[in-house]
Amino acid sequence: MSPSNIVFAIILVVALGFFTRSAQRLNRWLKIGRDENRTDHPDVRTKNLLLIGLAQTKILRDPIGGMMHALVFWGFCILALGTVEILIQGLYTPFTWDLLLPRFLYLPYVVSQELFAVFVLIPVAYLLYRRLVIKPARFSGDPVHGGDAVFILSMIATLMVTLLIIFAADLRTGASPDGRIVSSLLLPLFGGLTSESAHTVSRVSWWIHAVLILYFLNHLPGSKHLHVLTSLINVWFSNTSGPGRLGAMRPMDLEAEDAEQFGASDVEHLSWKNLLDGYSCTECGRCTAVCPANITGKLLSPRMIVVNTRARLTEKASTLDAIGVGGTATAEQQAVLDKNLLDDWITEEELWACTSCRACVQECPVSIDQLDIINELRRDLVLMESRFPEELQPALTSLERNGSPWAFSASDRAQWAEGMDIPTMAELVERGEKADILFWVGCMGSFDDRSKKITVAFARILQAANVRFAILGQEETCHGDPARRMGNEYLYQMLAKGVIETLDGYAVKTIVTFCPHCFHQMGNEFPDLGGNYEVIHHTEYIERLLADGRVPLDTEHGERLKVAYHDSCYLGRYNDIYDAPRTALKRALPIMELVEPPRTKDRGLCCGAGGGRMWMEENVGKRVNVERSEELLATGADQIAVACPFCMTMITDGVTGAGSTVPVLDISEVIAARLVPGGVTA
Amino acid sequence: MKIAVCIKRVPVMEVKFVITADGTRVEETGLKYDINDFDLWAIEAGLQLKEKHNNVGEVVVISLGPDTAQEQIRKAMAMGADRGILLKADSAPADGLAIARALAAELKDGGYDLVLFGRIAIDSMNQMTGPMVAELLDLPCVTNVFKLEITGATARAERALEGASEVVEFPLPALLTIDDGMNKERLPSLKGIMAAKKKPLEIKAAQFSDVRVSITKMALPADRAAARILGDSSAAVPELIRLLQTEAKVL
Amino acid sequence: MANVLVFAEVRGGELRKVAYEAVTAARALAELSGGGSVHAVLAGGAGIDAKAEALAQYGADSVLVLEHAGFTQYNPEALAATLAQRLESGTYAYGLFSATSQGRDLSPRVAAKLGVGLAADLTGLAVTDGAVVGQHFQNNGKVIATLTLTGSPAVVSIRPAAFQPAVNARALATEAITSATDPMASRVKTVELKQGSADKLDLNDAPVIVAGGRGLKAPEHFALCDDLAAAFGNAAVGATRAVTDEGWRPHSDQIGQTGRNVSPDLYIAVGISGAIQHLAGMRTSKVIVAINKDKDAPIFKISDYGIVGDVFEVMPVLTEAVRKAKAEG
Repeated sequence: MSPSNIVFAIILVVALGFFTRSAQRLNRWLKIGRDENRTDHPDVRTKNLLLIGLAQTKILRDPIGGMMHALVFWGFCILALGTVEILIQGLYTPFTWDLLLPRFLYLPYVVSQELFAVFVLIPVAYLLYRRLVIKPARFSGDPVHGGDAVFILSMIATLMVTLLIIFAADLRTGASPDGRIVSSLLLPLFGGLTSESAHTVSRVSWWIHAVLILYFLNHLPGSKHLHVLTSLINVWFSNTSGPGRLGAMRPMDLEAEDAEQFGASDVEHLSWKNLLDGYSCTECGRCTAVCPANITGKLLSPRMIVVNTRARLTEKASTLDAIGVGGTATAEQQAVLDKNLLDDWITEEELWACTSCRACVQECPVSIDQLDIINELRRDLVLMESRFPEELQPALTSLERNGSPWAFSASDRAQWAEGMDIPTMAELVERGEKADILFWVGCMGSFDDRSKKITVAFARILQAANVRFAILGQEETCHGDPARRMGNEYLYQMLAKGVIETLDGYAVKTIVTFCPHCFHQMGNEFPDLGGNYEVIHHTEYIERLLADGRVPLDTEHGERLKVAYHDSCYLGRYNDIYDAPRTALKRALPIMELVEPPRTKDRGLCCGAGGGRMWMEENVGKRVNVERSEELLATGADQIAVACPFCMTMITDGVTGAGSTVPVLDISEVIAARLVPGGVTA
Repeated sequence: MKIAVCIKRVPVMEVKFVITADGTRVEETGLKYDINDFDLWAIEAGLQLKEKHNNVGEVVVISLGPDTAQEQIRKAMAMGADRGILLKADSAPADGLAIARALAAELKDGGYDLVLFGRIAIDSMNQMTGPMVAELLDLPCVTNVFKLEITGATARAERALEGASEVVEFPLPALLTIDDGMNKERLPSLKGIMAAKKKPLEIKAAQFSDVRVSITKMALPADRAAARILGDSSAAVPELIRLLQTEAKVL
Repeated sequence: MANVLVFAEVRGGELRKVAYEAVTAARALAELSGGGSVHAVLAGGAGIDAKAEALAQYGADSVLVLEHAGFTQYNPEALAATLAQRLESGTYAYGLFSATSQGRDLSPRVAAKLGVGLAADLTGLAVTDGAVVGQHFQNNGKVIATLTLTGSPAVVSIRPAAFQPAVNARALATEAITSATDPMASRVKTVELKQGSADKLDLNDAPVIVAGGRGLKAPEHFALCDDLAAAFGNAAVGATRAVTDEGWRPHSDQIGQTGRNVSPDLYIAVGISGAIQHLAGMRTSKVIVAINKDKDAPIFKISDYGIVGDVFEVMPVLTEAVRKAKAEG
């Protein structure tokens, strides 16, 4: 080994040593979080890794910036081979892959290195330009590390430039030109150099490149670029694109004997996966850019939820490290330990502003679950501290006493069905009959005047299609989803278990409902409590009935209408149901023109009512429902269609508030109006 | 501070009540129950007073009711009460004084600095048990309290009148009935609910004597029919006034 | 033949309207028992005897005047002791009180002192076989119980506004009586009477609520509700979510859903259509009046009386009529 090899060996050992310490530290810190098993369904996880991770599907949702990043990422992967070559060269100068690879592999390898040096350099230059000149909105607005981003991009640019210099300089000193498609073009720049000087240039560039790589490696653990190491791992362990049911809240065992903490107030109450999410956040801001609360001026920024989780972990864990095992804390150190993620880093105001629309989760390119952290903190606020917005108290009290978030009598539940000859499950049992499906009406559909019209419309459709269905009538109570979303897991489980008991008592197998919250709760979250039913949303059920031709519709007459369909969050992002409502509308209104608002489908803007916000006041910034209604009206639609009673309320309010007379209708009302004979006006 | 709070298990009111076939009682099947609203404010007042005294002392919750009233006592304990006593009676008489006697017998030797009641029970709507107990125990009594200040062994309270209020001074020990506006009751946290399961709950039999008030009939008020439309302009106003005065008797 | 001792409620040295209702009811109770005398107890500071005449007008055969500085403010201990002593003296079959804040504080004390039963807040009175029979609301007003009260003397309190005062003049006969205990030695001392200002009644206290909705068209038109409330004198003004969202009224005025649940004796819904959120907050009101120009508005389904008209036309007339009715009452 030559002296330079020895020097490099020392640098390598030191660099790797530091890196190992950092990695150990990061791993130790992760263990502060709660344990959890995330190794189930390796097939789904691997698929996510391939698509979201390697194929960069989520990154590419932003077409230009996304493509730039994808190229840098793929470039990194490809250039990794070259990096290994360079590191080995540090120890044994003559090394190249040529010594080990057959020609037919080595040549493509060389080409790949050449190409991707450019395919990384150009995007990086664009990304620097974007940061420094274009300055997209999502890069500001939160206190994140923009300077670090510029530094990293500059470092990567330097790496690529030095790489190309090495390639070109080596050509000048006589290296084989095979496959050197890019550096050959650069050769003329080195024409004026002697072979010796070219060699020196190559060596200098080599050292800069190699040392920079080793520095870069050690810069990662402390910066937002840690995602380079953790993002693929994070995607594999993440549940946000499956396995399991999307958007199902974390189950909670309230009976656990020694359970002292419910929900999370500090980092040790979160799971290691939440903390890994913190490591993997790139601070890109795509989540915040689509957050309905943030868009309308609220304090909440999903990005900051994650960034602050990492910041608190760093603060607390490094203090614990400093104190050491069995050591005593100084007053200052104790003050740091006494702080909490909740209140000191993430405020109540942010947590309650969330509508649980899942747009942040949908956008995140590294599959972070921001909503999980928000939900766990809410659970602590409610279950441990009884700290929540005053406006929620009447709803929670009413749920406990009346089985409904509104103070209505259970005996009023089936009033909408008067004169419609719809049997209850109890009546069917008495007659010795059975129903094919249970029509679950929900509290909105039972008590809210506007929603009752949806209930009637859907019932009429079912009757027109001769479906054998029944309702629970007065036996129906809320399943507790609002309580769960608000963080009150105790009240939720009480109510949910009660409903499951009722459903099982009637041996219910199939449930159809028009409320996406009921649909999501009973279909996706009931199984954790032992309730297993086939739950279908009415838009899908209607679509099936229409496809089977079981619903006699008048599709001949009617004006050419422009209809804008507003995607419900709990149908769309929670359950991937985007097409059924549209198809159903098209079948019912064949001469309809479906117009899409700019933010649509999995990018649709929330109406503002989710996450318990239906029961809360909005005091800051612009109303979410106003923001969305304006967007829907701007499409020029003659009618707005919805598939959720909450959306119905919020959008109707927003549309009326804007002084517009554009009707807002539920899909079932649109369909029911076209039933033959007679039809039913909404 | 040793504080006793007397609470009652009452039905949740947002239901349509049904009268039994014999026309003397409200049908109980299907009813849900909770602590009387006013008693919740009394419990909250007791808890706040104890907290103000550096948590020295205890808040004891006493309820006269059926076995199932244990649920309500546990809820009070989940809010923070230290222990509970159930005076078990499968059915309580309609005579407020008989109930007061039973409660007074239990409270007599408790050594309480303060005995708190809710102003009124929303089911019986008697609004008498508190002052009657005070009379039987010869305690100073202030009703309809919505503001309270205690300094040592004397206290000052503000009590609600119709469209007015009175400021009252009195010595401790005393008995108060707590009104709406005193405070907003805390909701029990999950921690509180778990802790309540382990707090002591004593059950004793309630004794009644000399019952003089009974309910001989129970009926539903005439159904809330849809509005009688009196007219389509201000010409209907005189008729409205007349009806409000004579028929509805609210003017 | 049964004599009735009735307590006449005084506030700030003036008789309250309920005192006349009580004397009228006492008169009726005496008649139901085959005739008898009605003795009214009038307690107050110096000069209170001047009010005795008014009680005689409504049917008091004799007014027992308890005049002492210690009764300038409400003095429950001395009053209870005195009334109990009087009732116990044996000539009275009944003690009758108004079921007001004061009356419901006083009557239980008297009943407990005597060890007799109390039937409270009655809306109707009858006598059957020597027992008092009366109707009494239970379960937040959703059911009516018929109470039977035996024993003598029997103590009852009557619901305000359930008995309309009826003039039934007698010759004025007063008797000065002394307190059974030293009024200045009462442990509970009322130190101040704070007359409420009508404009700041809390929604949950007010017996009357005038609530405004979108039908008022603009925030300045809420003055119509304010005026009507002022005419009532004991009314609070509430609002629907629609108008508090618009910022016309503060959130603390909101009735329904995220706002308050109220249950006043009289609820006047002005320009309110009756969305579920609002109805949930006020449907247990005793009497509901709705003014709305849409005859199909859901509010009419749960109102007792309605005027399908223009609120701007109706409200001023209604306000004036209420003002007149209150002045006469």
